[in-house]
Amino acid sequence: MSKELRFLIVDDFSTMRRIVRNLLKESGYADADEAEDGVAALQKLRNSSFDFVVSDINMPNMNGFQLLAEIKKDDKLKHIPVLMVTAEARKEDIVLAAQQGASGYIVKPFTKATLEDKVNHILTKLGLK
Amino acid sequence: MSADATPTTPTLSTVEVHQQLGALTRQLHDSLNGLGLAEKVKDWAGELPDAKSRLSYIARLTGQAAEKVLNQVDQAKEQHDFIAAETRRIGQLIVKDPVAAVAKGHVMNFINDVDQASKKVDANLTEIMMAQDFHDLTGQVIAKVVNLAATIEEQLVLLLIQTAPPEAALKAAATPAEYVPALAGPVVDGQSNQEVVTDQSQVDDLLASLGF
Repeated sequence: MSKELRFLIVDDFSTMRRIVRNLLKESGYADADEAEDGVAALQKLRNSSFDFVVSDINMPNMNGFQLLAEIKKDDKLKHIPVLMVTAEARKEDIVLAAQQGASGYIVKPFTKATLEDKVNHILTKLGLK
Repeated sequence: MSADATPTTPTLSTVEVHQQLGALTRQLHDSLNGLGLAEKVKDWAGELPDAKSRLSYIARLTGQAAEKVLNQVDQAKEQHDFIAAETRRIGQLIVKDPVAAVAKGHVMNFINDVDQASKKVDANLTEIMMAQDFHDLTGQVIAKVVNLAATIEEQLVLLLIQTAPPEAALKAAATPAEYVPALAGPVVDGQSNQEVVTDQSQVDDLLASLGF
């Protein structure tokens, strides 16, 4: 059996973190941790091992774009795929996320099928599934 | 209305009140211009309809979430009632004749029914959980409206301080921080804005067009 993938869910709303965590669990990804903003996420990423980040954009202290930039400029973290799950629906934000190295972009509100599809697609693309 | 009713002519006091209101409006207009706040007021006026549409969005989203949850609960309760009734029925059959209950397939059918009903209830629970996403979306919108109200309040306080007698102005020396909007947040009216996407398929199309 392959190693279970570990997810980090980053969102300032605990409700949304719980929703994403439960959906991932239903999709077979039970190993997940949570962070309430980019600062907390970066700290967890540097102190522990994760295979996948699901991040909101609009958060206090350090937003999702800043977190993405920090991850992608860190040699030890840049291989981790980052899926943005956000209410930010401006085209310029979507393009910016893609240019900064996000592996996927989901606009809220979303469905269970959408999240499952994007996660599986990214993992398959990276040979992690 | 009676036939002989005639429009009332303004009394002297009405005219005076009207003139005073006009003078006050002029005075406020001149003060705002003099203090450089006229542009701010124009901005507020522009943002207020946006705040109105954001509040409508909150009402709509919370209403939809409540409706969705109640519908899902109705469906889950139907399944629960079915399982409860079938359990009682199969129990009676087993008590009556356990061998026949198994041999005739009643027990196996019951197991299959419970399995199907459980899956439906699980789907209902997932939908109820998903409906809670309104908390995140409305929370972001509420924060923006609160920020707008705070900005207006701060500017009005500033106006009061600047127009107050010198001794009163000295007591209120706090400088309000300027509100700088960061990200746009949830789309409350996507139909009239070409710069935003309104569903996931548009996101996928946009990313695909960029080669991602």
